[in-house]
Amino acid sequence: MMQRFVTAAMAAASAAALLAGCGSGETGGGADGPYRVLMTAGLSTQGALAGNAATSVLSVRASVAQVNRAGGVAGRKVELTVVDDEGNPTTALTKIRQAIAAQRPDAVVNAGPSTVAAATLPVLKQYKILSFNIAPTEDSANPAVNPLNFDMTGNPEDYIRGFIPHLKEKGYRSAGIVHGSTATGVTFAEQMEPALKAAGITVVGNQEYDSAALDMTPQLQALQSKNPDVLVMDGYGAPVGHLLKGVEKLGWNVPIVANNSVSATGLISTPPPTGVLGTPQVRNLVTQVYRSTVHDPADRAVNEVVAAMAALGKIESTLIMATNYDVLPLIAAAAAKVGHAGDPQALAKALEDPQVQASAKVVIIRRYNFRPDSHGPNLAADDLAFVAPSPLKNGQFQ
Amino acid sequence: MTIIWGGLALGAVYALVAVGYNIVFISSKTFNFAQAQLMMVGTFVAHTGLVTLRLPVALVVLMATAAVMAVAAVEERLAIRPVGDPEAVLVTTLGAAVLLNGLTQLVWGGQPLTVPFFGGDQVLELLGGRVYPVEIALVVVAVALVVLFTWFSRRFVTGLALLAMAEDREAAMLRGIDVRRLAFWTFAASGALAGLLGVFVGPKTFAVATLGASLALKGFVVVAIGGFGSMPGTLVGGLVVGLVEALAARHLGSEYASISVFAVLIAILLVRPSGLFVRTRERAV
Repeated sequence: MMQRFVTAAMAAASAAALLAGCGSGETGGGADGPYRVLMTAGLSTQGALAGNAATSVLSVRASVAQVNRAGGVAGRKVELTVVDDEGNPTTALTKIRQAIAAQRPDAVVNAGPSTVAAATLPVLKQYKILSFNIAPTEDSANPAVNPLNFDMTGNPEDYIRGFIPHLKEKGYRSAGIVHGSTATGVTFAEQMEPALKAAGITVVGNQEYDSAALDMTPQLQALQSKNPDVLVMDGYGAPVGHLLKGVEKLGWNVPIVANNSVSATGLISTPPPTGVLGTPQVRNLVTQVYRSTVHDPADRAVNEVVAAMAALGKIESTLIMATNYDVLPLIAAAAAKVGHAGDPQALAKALEDPQVQASAKVVIIRRYNFRPDSHGPNLAADDLAFVAPSPLKNGQFQ
Repeated sequence: MTIIWGGLALGAVYALVAVGYNIVFISSKTFNFAQAQLMMVGTFVAHTGLVTLRLPVALVVLMATAAVMAVAAVEERLAIRPVGDPEAVLVTTLGAAVLLNGLTQLVWGGQPLTVPFFGGDQVLELLGGRVYPVEIALVVVAVALVVLFTWFSRRFVTGLALLAMAEDREAAMLRGIDVRRLAFWTFAASGALAGLLGVFVGPKTFAVATLGASLALKGFVVVAIGGFGSMPGTLVGGLVVGLVEALAARHLGSEYASISVFAVLIAILLVRPSGLFVRTRERAV
């Protein structure tokens, strides 16, 4: 009886192993074949998501062309496949599973949003595929949870770390925080308040607004009554317009320092009558951006990437969505250290090496500081800048 | 006083949505869940007319009125007329709302668009508060619309026919009223009104594809407070909701703004189950 049970169990295990083998398809492009990169992007979404996806895809296409011109990844030509995930986690998961079954990719890149990352990272981990994520989730940068994933944009701590030197430099001693009720807004406020206090800046109030609300004057007036030196603002889309209107309506002449989601709101980079650029509403406003999203005629590397992207198609959102450009140079640098590109675990280990990070020919962010305990970029303060609103051209503030 | 003005303006926007709900309710005894989306389309058409095409305000008003009236007419033919059951209509109009949300995002994108107000955008000092001209205009328009509709329903045959339909649809048919035709034109008129109001609501709210969702629920609360079918009720209900929301956000915190509105709603419904301006009537069964 026992022998029959063991035999049956072994047969079942063998069948499962066989099926799993069938399901995983070929292993990458092989040692001499192409280095296969799969990119999922919400190409058929609408509005801002579509613009973000299109910009991200342009950046990867430009990067693939550049890396192939330079000899590829450890001598292997990079082959890019872009699939439309509709911005939908279920679709993204299905497309990734189909790709793994048909022709397993060596690396997977996404174009957000974070719901897609949250759904797909466990599968990529299961199949031991190197992945690069542009929309951080709670644990996407945690190597203990996702050992082969690397986040390509900063997490809230990075951005908040960038705020403090600016506020100190300006000599602000007290601040009011106003933030949305979205997950991003709440996280921003929760982390900003202790960071400000730790920096010796008094927080006079921390006001939340409903992101669906049509008037934020009450929250602003509550902060105005405490007379802070600076207003620290979070928002995206219509709430940004309501906040700026509210400040103007109150006649409140206060410096406003806003996060990068405010900078991504088209209203502030568009002149009237479509937007509010150049009006009194944005007179006191500066927003946090990546340094590469500000046009600098002297920055040849960024300008060449922008030109390459623009030659491939219209850049619809800011260059913050172009950090995926840096994925291929990072993989190429890691493969150069390992000696080949066939072992994703070895590549992941190499990406944690500061020498590899320094040698990678990245452009959009100057340096990715991946660590064994954090696979986020751990941005340096000088990768971020605070700029007044200006027109957006080719994804850059002018 | 600035907060009071803001609350009144916000309440006026909610009241204007609720007026549309009530027009459809009076004529069809049903609830058009896409009414707030019709107003949202009105703001987008106003943006296109004023900003993209740079047309005169009067022409934009006509354009928005005609465009949204046409959208409402199509909605009536596709989502209401083929569905006999008023409860099923709730689902089909909700579907129309979702469709309009998606279509507006497809046509105009996801970013908020400004709608300039023809009365200027300089902040005014008024009765000790600071207010935008459009906020005053919204309050005036909401009051005027309710007065106008009340007058119309009592002085004109069509208005009386609508009230008769609201009272007893079968009795109205027996008196020779073409209730289906009247219901269609009333539905189209609610769309026309939503379009016309786009030039007033847009400068306050921006033209943005999430506007319908922001307005729909509060508009419903306004109707529930004022009473289904009561035009004066929409005005009072709107102003109550706007003021409670603004004052709670200022003094209790924004997390209490919506809670306070719903607490007021529950308190009113406990005392007046049919709303402030509608009497509960016994029905013979």
